[in-house]
Amino acid sequence: MTDEAIMEAVKNGKLEQAAVLFERYHLRLYNFLARLAMDKEVGEDLTQNVFLRMLKYRHTYKESMRFQSWIYQLARNVFSDHYQSMKRSMNSKTDVERLADFIPDEDSRAEEEREARLHQSLSLLSEEQRELLVLTRFQHMKYEEVAEILNTTVANIKVKVHRAMIKLKEHYFQLEAYD
Amino acid sequence: MINETVQQKLMDYLDGNLSVDERKEAERMLTEDADLRTWFEQLKHVNSSITKSAEWKPSAALRESFEAALQQELKKETKQVFFTPMMYRVAAAVMLLIVAGGIGFWVNNQWQQQREMAELKRQLQETKSMMMAMMNNELSASQRMMGVSVANSLPQADDEITRALFNVLNEDANTNVRLSALEALSKFHADPAVKRKLIQSLAIQKDPSVQIALIQLLVQIKEQSIMPQLKDIIEDDQSIKAVRDEAHTAILKLS
Repeated sequence: MTDEAIMEAVKNGKLEQAAVLFERYHLRLYNFLARLAMDKEVGEDLTQNVFLRMLKYRHTYKESMRFQSWIYQLARNVFSDHYQSMKRSMNSKTDVERLADFIPDEDSRAEEEREARLHQSLSLLSEEQRELLVLTRFQHMKYEEVAEILNTTVANIKVKVHRAMIKLKEHYFQLEAYD
Repeated sequence: MINETVQQKLMDYLDGNLSVDERKEAERMLTEDADLRTWFEQLKHVNSSITKSAEWKPSAALRESFEAALQQELKKETKQVFFTPMMYRVAAAVMLLIVAGGIGFWVNNQWQQQREMAELKRQLQETKSMMMAMMNNELSASQRMMGVSVANSLPQADDEITRALFNVLNEDANTNVRLSALEALSKFHADPAVKRKLIQSLAIQKDPSVQIALIQLLVQIKEQSIMPQLKDIIEDDQSIKAVRDEAHTAILKLS
């Protein structure tokens, strides 16, 4: 059964079907939001909010729309709300503290160091670039799918993703040079 | 510095999005340009890091909180089976009708009661005015008699009516009219003011028929305070024998 058919059933009162959509999407949404927020705990809260909104706004879902696009748009809105409130309350100190999550201990293996450096590099990108890379490179979404979520053209997405990737590479090797 | 077109081309090469010819061209550039090769190797390294980056796992709390939220939503949905928006509207409309009807009935009832009361009050006022006018009709004893009869038919009387009746009792020229007034006042003897005035009337009455009727009424209501007036009547030379006898009998009955 397609995501769209399940969501349509949820919309028409078969609420218990929402559990299937949770199974299919919670990991992806969690990884998307946690990487965007650069905070695993916040990622969990935000993912929870996405599914709450899915239940609350189920009547606004249109069958013609790809479910994945709809749920990711909900996720983006959830993150945007979070980001706006964070901008108001957060200072640079908490930024550093959040990044510390990704800095490995001294005895960490090379793999962990690389992972940590990758996320530090990601954190140095703009929100837009980070989002594009998470969707396309981490979650392997097609440009068409991303274009639908972000309501733009495939060509635009492609150029932006390439630029973001090149920028990420620069940050990554700059950080490696400091180590 | 590598120009952006080449960078974009190598990104496509990395993603395998080039045609055969384009791929050969990219490979040729990489072979010939060491800086470009280094740049591309770095890009591959970062891309590989992303590919190797493990998927993060949320804690069990995420699933638990979702399930709790879903259960809560399911409960709400069950309740809504009976109260869909349409049902709410119908229920609200019915409630509105009942409440509006109730208020309307109550208001109408109140209004009707008030109207009836006003009508009664008006009628009573008219009757009273007519009665007063009749009782004050100096030219016609029968009219005064009728006025007193109307007062006698009233279940209760206000100060104005009793004052008019006492006026008739003490002043009217006609004995029958005065007796009728006494009869009407006897109904209201429970009123202390009426009783007090009845006692006072005994002292001033000169009409034997009224005196006897008044003595009988006061004895009937066991009014012992009239003893002095009774003695006065007995000693009064002006009093006729029948009145004095009635006073004697009254003293005996009240003693």
